[in-house]
Amino acid sequence: MSSMMRKKTQVSFVIRDEEEKRHKNGVSSLQLDPVQGRLYTAGRDGIIRVWHAGNGSQDRYIQSMEHHTDWVNDIVLCCGGKNLISASSDTTVKVWNAPKGFCMSTLRTHKDYVRTLAYAKDKEQVASAGLDRAIFLWDVNTLTALTASNNTVTTSSLVGNKESIYSLAMNPPGTILVSGSTEKVLRVWDPRNCSRLMKLKGHADNVKALVVSRDGTQCVSGSSDGTIKLWSLSQQRCVSTIRVHSEAVWALLATETFSHIISGGRDRLVIITELRNPDNFMIVCEESAPVLKLCFTADQQGVWVSTSDSDIRCWKLPPVNTLNSEMYNQNNYNTNNVYQTQPLHHIPGGRAIKNYTVLNDKRHILTKDTSNNVVLYDVLKASKIEDLGEIDYEEEVKKHFKMVYVPNWFNVDLKTGMLTIHLGQDETDCFSAWVSAKEAGLTTENDQKVNFGALLLQALLEYWNHPNRVNEGGQKVFGNNFFSVPLHTPLIFSEVGGRTLYRLQVGDAGGETEGNILLETVPSWVVDVAIEMAAPKLNKLPFYLLPHSSCQSKQDRQKKDRLVANDFIQCRKVAEHVVEKIIGGGDVNGSGTAKTEENSDAPEEKVELLCCDQVLDPNMDLRTVRHFIWKSNVEFTLHYRIIKQ
Amino acid sequence: MSICQDLGLNFQQRMGATASQLEKDIGSEQFPPNEHYFGLVNFGNTCYSNSVLQALYFCRPFRDKVLEYKAKNKRTKETLLTCLADLFYSIATQKKKVGSIAPKKFIARLRKEKEEFDNYMQQDAHEFLNFLINHINEIILAERNQSTLKLQKTTGSGESVTCNGTVPQNSEPTWVHEIFQGTLTSETRCLNCETVSSKDEHFFDLQVDVDQNTSITHCLKCFSDTETLCNDNKFKCDNCSSYQEAQKRMRVKKLPLILALHLKRFKYMEQYNRHIKVSHRVVFPLELRLFNTSDDAVNPDRLYDLVAVVVHCGSGPNRGHYISIVKSHGFWLLFDDDMVDKIDASAIEDFYGLTSDIQKSSETGYILFYQSRDASC
Repeated sequence: MSSMMRKKTQVSFVIRDEEEKRHKNGVSSLQLDPVQGRLYTAGRDGIIRVWHAGNGSQDRYIQSMEHHTDWVNDIVLCCGGKNLISASSDTTVKVWNAPKGFCMSTLRTHKDYVRTLAYAKDKEQVASAGLDRAIFLWDVNTLTALTASNNTVTTSSLVGNKESIYSLAMNPPGTILVSGSTEKVLRVWDPRNCSRLMKLKGHADNVKALVVSRDGTQCVSGSSDGTIKLWSLSQQRCVSTIRVHSEAVWALLATETFSHIISGGRDRLVIITELRNPDNFMIVCEESAPVLKLCFTADQQGVWVSTSDSDIRCWKLPPVNTLNSEMYNQNNYNTNNVYQTQPLHHIPGGRAIKNYTVLNDKRHILTKDTSNNVVLYDVLKASKIEDLGEIDYEEEVKKHFKMVYVPNWFNVDLKTGMLTIHLGQDETDCFSAWVSAKEAGLTTENDQKVNFGALLLQALLEYWNHPNRVNEGGQKVFGNNFFSVPLHTPLIFSEVGGRTLYRLQVGDAGGETEGNILLETVPSWVVDVAIEMAAPKLNKLPFYLLPHSSCQSKQDRQKKDRLVANDFIQCRKVAEHVVEKIIGGGDVNGSGTAKTEENSDAPEEKVELLCCDQVLDPNMDLRTVRHFIWKSNVEFTLHYRIIKQ
Repeated sequence: MSICQDLGLNFQQRMGATASQLEKDIGSEQFPPNEHYFGLVNFGNTCYSNSVLQALYFCRPFRDKVLEYKAKNKRTKETLLTCLADLFYSIATQKKKVGSIAPKKFIARLRKEKEEFDNYMQQDAHEFLNFLINHINEIILAERNQSTLKLQKTTGSGESVTCNGTVPQNSEPTWVHEIFQGTLTSETRCLNCETVSSKDEHFFDLQVDVDQNTSITHCLKCFSDTETLCNDNKFKCDNCSSYQEAQKRMRVKKLPLILALHLKRFKYMEQYNRHIKVSHRVVFPLELRLFNTSDDAVNPDRLYDLVAVVVHCGSGPNRGHYISIVKSHGFWLLFDDDMVDKIDASAIEDFYGLTSDIQKSSETGYILFYQSRDASC
């Protein structure tokens, strides 16, 4: 029985277009391949996208690199542009073939969100760190040589951090590694022998951005305390504190010679400052949202800027010899007087869904995105139904109200800016919603009851060639006989509230490799229903049935019938029960199968049902009556009144 | 009931000697006019109530309001508040300056009002205080609602009421609110987007954890320490639409007239499967200023004076004894049920707690009542 199974794994899927060419959420990280002229951008929609970075206004989109299931927080391009390493809130680090855009391997060593990466170019070494406080050091050449059979990696770990790590930096030769955390200190290591070198105190808040000079003698840090600090690592002290931002500093970029620092953060400004003389600075541009990452153009004359919005812009940098302290005196925080007001290039982003409402039928969802665009989705078919444009969201939600109650059977998540639906067996049981197939518009034939969760799981795993597929007259049954979901739908198996176990697209489940991984991953409560076509348990609803006070005799008053029925049965069925069993009228030809046409009168014409003195529509089901009229989960009571003997 | 009365008699007989002793200790010239020091008879483990009632009686703003209520409400049906008012009135109008009184009616009413107190077991004084304050407040609100209804009836329509006061009567603070209610603001900062969201909540007392060899100021600092929401306890940030790490802290936004501090001395210990008393030494100063106030605090500079302390004596929450020490007209008194003694201010130190954890039984400050110096009395 499915109920005996462990309720640990959940099944999730994303409702989206096959190709999402635009970032749907903020962009956490940027990497430029100057040789190929490509820009890699890491999205909080879980997708890394590749763009043409050169001049010209052609369609810049090249491709998407999809495999993460949560925010991609950082990326580094290594091996001269051959490989890309990514860090994500799905707790994994992934190794990619950068030109072709496929995921080569997944490293599951971290136990919490991986926030940041550092790269030592000369040694092809990458360090990863995050909220689990651990720093791991990876040899990129080892990572790219991993295969399905040879998949063990040895890694060095740098221990000693007491709090979550939000930033990392290494110098190109890999002789110095610095980490920044909510501990407010910088910790410095020698990655060659994993020894701790020092701890630098000075910041008053989290350290979110770091850069180290090539020779490893200097370091610049950006903090949530709003300051940028220049540190001498050889003297183990803070050399200067730069106060050019009015809010937290989240992104730093140093020039090749470490003469200037470009910074960005919560105040949405990008500022260039001369490190030796911090009075010399200039506001490069004002972005539309807090700045998350900065990256030079190939000629270093411009800077690509990503923010917590989905747009990415490229801005021209001022020539460094034009910075002087007079600018500081004249234009101190005068954001009307920034160097550039028009970006050189602009990669427009898409819209993130910010609000959602699950409609009463527990099948349709209305959403509102960052531009107040309202969209209607069908969860059951994993698809978008209609783009309603910029209309009044609340009004539209009200318009869709129907007096019908269906139990919750899925959870919604907007972390990626797209609709992610979770199906599980925890607080929300995905098999709790039984409905009439006819009313759901799935069939016009006989009134069959279907289970939303079962239908959806059957559709999601339609292509999985599982050995136990049930044979029906020699033919294996695939899918659910009613509908299919889009083949591109990402399907994700994960621990509830935790790590991702496996991600694939619905249409790829037929592959041999995929099939084998699914065999190991898919929990038995899913296999039972989606493959072996076991019917999920019906929800029973207990209620009391009493004669209404207007027609009740003294004898009747003693009798309080406690009945149990499926929660989806209509009041008509209860009326039928009253006619057949209680008042004994009509012909009793085998319970329940009696067709109404054969009788002269439908049961609702003989008996009417009431709840809280309200006459009930015979088409209304019991759970709806209980939810909207009885309004309680205890002692649910219905009354009947005979209108015609 | 008869047993209790017998006990009461015994106590009363014993009282004779100590009563005159107290008058002697204070001295007839020094004895404050219009002040009465009356012990309260124990009806079988009712010291949890006696100690709290004495402390509240010597919170002058509270006593004045209760007596005012007594004066205004001549003939109403019996509530816990009318019983309390009668008790306070009876103390305040005694002919003798010292003695003892049996709060019979109050205890009987209390046992009717709340099942948990309807027995002869030792109760938690803080639970009683909490119940009493909230219950009195509800009585006042209910009576206010009734008078509004009456007003509506006599004027014939609701119209004149809305003219008289546009604010609905219920949202106006009661005198219980005005005396004990403060506001806490909890600020949560998402560590990803660094957006701060804050939420206000009202309190009648602050419940603070106790650490060994510390002070109330330290306990209050810990109360307002930043807590990081991380690992499996991340914060669902509306702005990020996802679970992120966050820093959360609670600070005082509105300081009450009377600040009641509850020292959490009864800790549940899993290994013993019961509550254990924490006798840690926590110094409570005679003068207190709060440092854990929010940036937008209404009255952050309030200076408080210690006016009363409910002391727990013994080894556990359901055993032992409660007494109270109160400040009245510049000197300190110890109320132990029906007995009243004058004590030296220096003796308060004896109730800070124990520096070693070996001894199980202790006499420790449990609920502290601090009164704002700007309170008019």
